[in-house]
Amino acid sequence: METILNSLALGFSVALRPDILWFAFIGCLVGTLVGMLPGIGPLAGISILLPLTFGLDATKAIVMLAGIYYGSQYGGSTTSILMRIPGEASSVMTCIDGHAMAKKGRAGAALCIAAVGSFVAGTFGIVMLTLIAPPLATFALRFGPPEYTALLVLGLIFLAYMSTTSLIRTLLMAAIGLLLGTIGIDVMTGHFRFSFGIAELGDGIGIVPVAVGLFGLGELLATPSRQVAADIMRPKLRELLPTREEWRQSTAPIARGSVLGFMIGIIPGSAHIIASFMSYAVERKVSKTPEEFGKGAVAGVAGPESANNSASTGAFVPMLALGIPTGPVTAVLIAALLIHGVPPGPTLVNDHPNVFWGFVASMYVGNLMLLLLNLPLVGLFVNLLRIPYAYLYPLIIMFCVIGVYEVNHSIVDVWIMLIMGVVGYCIKKFGFDPAPLVLGLVIAPIFEMSLRQSLIMSDGTWLIFLQRPIAAILLAICLLMLALAVMSYLSQRRDWRAKLAEAEAASEKN
Amino acid sequence: MTIRADHVAGGALIAFGVLVFAISADLPFGTVSAPGAGMMPKLTAGLMMLFAAIIFITGKQSAPASSIDWSDRGHALLLVVITAIATVIYTTLGFIITMTLLVFSLLVVVERKKILPAATYAVGLTLFAYWLFGMALKAPLERGLLWF
Repeated sequence: METILNSLALGFSVALRPDILWFAFIGCLVGTLVGMLPGIGPLAGISILLPLTFGLDATKAIVMLAGIYYGSQYGGSTTSILMRIPGEASSVMTCIDGHAMAKKGRAGAALCIAAVGSFVAGTFGIVMLTLIAPPLATFALRFGPPEYTALLVLGLIFLAYMSTTSLIRTLLMAAIGLLLGTIGIDVMTGHFRFSFGIAELGDGIGIVPVAVGLFGLGELLATPSRQVAADIMRPKLRELLPTREEWRQSTAPIARGSVLGFMIGIIPGSAHIIASFMSYAVERKVSKTPEEFGKGAVAGVAGPESANNSASTGAFVPMLALGIPTGPVTAVLIAALLIHGVPPGPTLVNDHPNVFWGFVASMYVGNLMLLLLNLPLVGLFVNLLRIPYAYLYPLIIMFCVIGVYEVNHSIVDVWIMLIMGVVGYCIKKFGFDPAPLVLGLVIAPIFEMSLRQSLIMSDGTWLIFLQRPIAAILLAICLLMLALAVMSYLSQRRDWRAKLAEAEAASEKN
Repeated sequence: MTIRADHVAGGALIAFGVLVFAISADLPFGTVSAPGAGMMPKLTAGLMMLFAAIIFITGKQSAPASSIDWSDRGHALLLVVITAIATVIYTTLGFIITMTLLVFSLLVVVERKKILPAATYAVGLTLFAYWLFGMALKAPLERGLLWF
């Protein structure tokens, strides 16, 4: 414990430097805007702004990019409550009761509860991250190629199990991502794979053009400006304080949402989305007045908003401690760290303590900044939502092109983004989720390398994955998840995933 | 027989898998004890085809392919065409001219905005982006033939 406190003190000595504070502020501010604006999520926001961090050192870069991620969870609630449009997918559940509260004249109170809940949950998540990540990283030092292979398989199976689309559809998307990840020079043999004589493809397909194409451009292609309404309520500053009764009703949901969100956050998948849905379901289940849900229940705002913030912090645990992305956002953050020469994983805590602890400490500060940003300045942010979408999306397309081009100064990357935009548009039409594709693309090199190393180590026997205890346990969990999914399919049971899919579909129609 | 959305998606991805196998024919698979460069692409393409086949076979439960809403296709096509043209001219004409034309075209062609306000917005926005990326953040932007 003393070691952790000393390390945290080192982190605060980094995070409280004026230059780091400035980049944390920029990240939080941009994240709030990204979360609020429909058509641009945290993934596209981080990917587009990634090239801006090239001139910065690793600490400043990761502090700013992570600020965009957790800041977007705060910002997403604003449009949900005031416009009934989830600026970010994890705010879908907040739309229901948040907007109902707004219609009753309690928009300010809903915003305040969402912001305070987010702050409490975010801080709880960081405390847990501080306590869990270092010992987990120490444990992960025992991992060899077979364990990493099993862990990555488990990540994919978890992602598929937790997905709102079917298990097979998710695995299909992940397989396409893994296939795309094989493009380029094979590092073990030097063979060029699928490069078609294009020199730029020798290094493989970058995550930024794929992520920006699928999540940024793909979203814009499917969103004509006539479909974006702008009916906005504007709360007054004096209306922001909830009543004593509203505070009382929100306390327990914030606590439950924080714990639940963190636990779900460390599991691969779109954790912050799942966490907010599950928190809503739990709150309705434990409520003495479940009939109030959908009509402006305070717990329906406090629980999901806390859960999605806690989950977004929880997602940093496997990213920092194991070097494993739990979703596309953490995958881009890993790419960002690698670009700056800092490999995330078990050695990060010891090899780059300034980066690790500076990042952790900056999140404490960032959460405080977000609370201060999101409450008094909500009126100012609301004004930004009045910019017509027809004028907003050309700006986003311009940023997509600049952001992608600036990563490698490669026009091939811009073409890849454009192709991926069309792919993203089409796969959404056919009911596929693009997130597993990005995850597959990111883990493909690690997965291929660890699988091939494992097979070479074992002289060609697949039993190596069962002979090593940690790998065997991880694969047993995979089998359990698959069995659960098959049982659910055979019994045609509508479980929480089906309900989440319905809620998301209903939200998209609105 | 009604063609379902999953029949189209599954069929297209099976065909894609066949194409991957065809173009990766020259990549050596190797052996299990010494995997070659072709192992991973062929394994993942095989998995992709397997999952696509399951989706194809169970496709009768999905919505009819004709029920997919493509009403936004015109908007999508225009965006793709305009962005593609901008991509083609970007390295030749440079940042300021290309981005101004990109934003202006999106506003006038796609959104049917009046020419003067659209031009003013396009120029203003591009100059702001030039200042932000090129001057404040010192990102080396493409200069093109006209050197700006």
